[in-house]
Amino acid sequence: MAEEKAFYQEYEVFSKRTPTSTFQYQFSLLAPNEEMALVLAQENFMRREPVVDIWIVNRKHIRKMNVEEKLTLRRLDNKDYRTTKGYGYLKKKWRHYEQEILDEKEILSWGGKRK
Amino acid sequence: MTTLHNMSDEDLLARFMERIEAGDKIEADDWMPEEYRLTLIKLISMHGISEIMGALPEKEWVPRAPSLQRKLGIMAKVQDEMGHGQLLLRVTEDLLKPYGKNRGDLLQDLFNGDLKFHNVFHMETKSWADAGIIGWLVDGAAIITQTDMLGASYGPYARALQRICAEEVFHAQHGESIILALAEGTDEQKAMIQEALDRWWESLLMFFGPASKETTGSSKQDVTIKYKIRTKTNEDFRQIFFDKYIPRILSLGLTIPDPTFHFDEESGLWSYKQPDWEEFKRIIKNKGPRSQARLNLRRSSYENNAWVRDALSATVN
Amino acid sequence: MSEIENGVTEASENKEAITSLLFQLADDDFLYAYRGSEWLGLAPHIEEDVASSSISQDSMGHAAMYYKLLEELGVGNADDLAHLRPAHERRNSILTERVNGEGFYMETPNYDWAYQVVRSYFYTQAKKVKVDSLCQSSYKPVAEVAVKVKMELYYHRLHWETWFKQLLSSTDVAKKKMNEAITRVMDDFGDMFSFGIQKQAIEKYKLIDSEEKLKENWLASIEPVFAALQMTVPTIPETLANNGRNGEHTVDLDEALRTLSEVYKVDPVASW
Repeated sequence: MAEEKAFYQEYEVFSKRTPTSTFQYQFSLLAPNEEMALVLAQENFMRREPVVDIWIVNRKHIRKMNVEEKLTLRRLDNKDYRTTKGYGYLKKKWRHYEQEILDEKEILSWGGKRK
Repeated sequence: MTTLHNMSDEDLLARFMERIEAGDKIEADDWMPEEYRLTLIKLISMHGISEIMGALPEKEWVPRAPSLQRKLGIMAKVQDEMGHGQLLLRVTEDLLKPYGKNRGDLLQDLFNGDLKFHNVFHMETKSWADAGIIGWLVDGAAIITQTDMLGASYGPYARALQRICAEEVFHAQHGESIILALAEGTDEQKAMIQEALDRWWESLLMFFGPASKETTGSSKQDVTIKYKIRTKTNEDFRQIFFDKYIPRILSLGLTIPDPTFHFDEESGLWSYKQPDWEEFKRIIKNKGPRSQARLNLRRSSYENNAWVRDALSATVN
Repeated sequence: MSEIENGVTEASENKEAITSLLFQLADDDFLYAYRGSEWLGLAPHIEEDVASSSISQDSMGHAAMYYKLLEELGVGNADDLAHLRPAHERRNSILTERVNGEGFYMETPNYDWAYQVVRSYFYTQAKKVKVDSLCQSSYKPVAEVAVKVKMELYYHRLHWETWFKQLLSSTDVAKKKMNEAITRVMDDFGDMFSFGIQKQAIEKYKLIDSEEKLKENWLASIEPVFAALQMTVPTIPETLANNGRNGEHTVDLDEALRTLSEVYKVDPVASW
């Protein structure tokens, strides 16, 4: 591949809003190198929102999907067995035994203090 | 199985138009007809470079802004304009990939006169009230055209516009704040706004472009509507602008500098004296009052800084 | 020594020292931000333009906080202090008032990015050294402001240090321009750590570390960067033609004041 001198390299910017949030894609910017891209990222895309962390990636390191590859992402809507939707009848069953169902809300609340 | 590789252009086009009709979002790497790509490049590069050129007239008032708070507000506003230019030029640069062009080429196009910028940014600013009118009414006009394209079929443009429109709300209020302070101020301050409105009125009418291509001989509005980039015509935009802003302008005791201006009950449209569309054509050909001065400033700052870009250019492959 | 409370009036000497120091801090950031704002739209590339504008805004915000402290001391309204004081009453350093290059900003100025980088980097380092010290000031209100200002200086330093290092590690043209800029900036650096005629009082009341200590800290703060670049740390001039802290300024300040107060002076009593 031909070599050329480039000031304008493309960097993709990702940021985290709070310590608990996940990284989110922001936008792309042009910078001569990684250090500079990092120094420019926050002020270009997150001037009005909190940020606790930033990632930048040179676009050439991102493997993207082409249109045909995107076709591999489609799925039939017949996979209830992967979700609680397929087990909805349990609520009624447990009622018969005078027990509450342990649903997502209940189970995810167990991380707190013992009630 | 038919893959995209061996589909004919005709089939690709049919499939593309199906996606457009279905409200699908087109992405930078997707196949698109050249007409669509060129329309986007023309529209978004002009939008982007107008932001960059638009920073210059307002920037004239940054050092002169009349309080610490105003200095901060207008700096942040002009910074946003540059930021909008950044977003839009990035979107354009990705569209330009097949032609092997980059930001440097876009700037050269601007300097050559091949890439045009919005008529309003060719005009002179004369007083602090102009900074107010630009924020209030020029940004107001821009909000009307930009919000129309928030649902544009081209995903990257729609996403850039989401960011831009969110900031435009601040810009509009920044402008309103300047105008209201003047409107409630001394007689001299009140006179400043009326003069500024008189000065900017024609430019504001021109902002939306001619009603039809018969007026100036070219108009991209039909193509942009066909591809679902925008939904309304130039005249629709102008009428919406009047709907939103005429009552506000009048409520401040200002006079519309067009004695014929009125709302026509029968047609439900505002009737106005047409601006000089020949003048409009001259202005966007870089023959406006400040066209050359601003282009010179943009060009000289770009050339003065060439050594910086050269110094930090890395060898890439 | 007892801490000086908000009231300050116990000794007029205190107040004079505090006022003088606050003017030095406020005027420095105000002029630095003003010069930075002239760069708007003209930086080497758009992304940098956006980023460095934030630094100018932050710095103007810092100036506004110091002017507010002066307002609270009854010295005058913050906007009047920023816009109406004539040059001989200004206490900023010479470096912060210098033009960005030849030409008026309304025409086609020829601004020098090397000068912008060097001025900003050296100034930000000096500001950092002062602000660190001010966090321990005997004058509580300024210590509280200093804690806030310090938070934003992390970014300012990273930003300018990155530019400083990268340009000095690049082409011969860039190195030459940067070295010329270092010389020009250092020529004006003589009053950066000066407290002017209020030196004794400012130091006596422990409003901030001594001039000598601040200089020492500044040199120590830039030393590693210069070592990494295999460059000699520049010397701060001992003698100076003008001391901005005593209201001695160059014509560059007159030009700046004319512009920045142009609209305000149309009617200083009006609300803008």
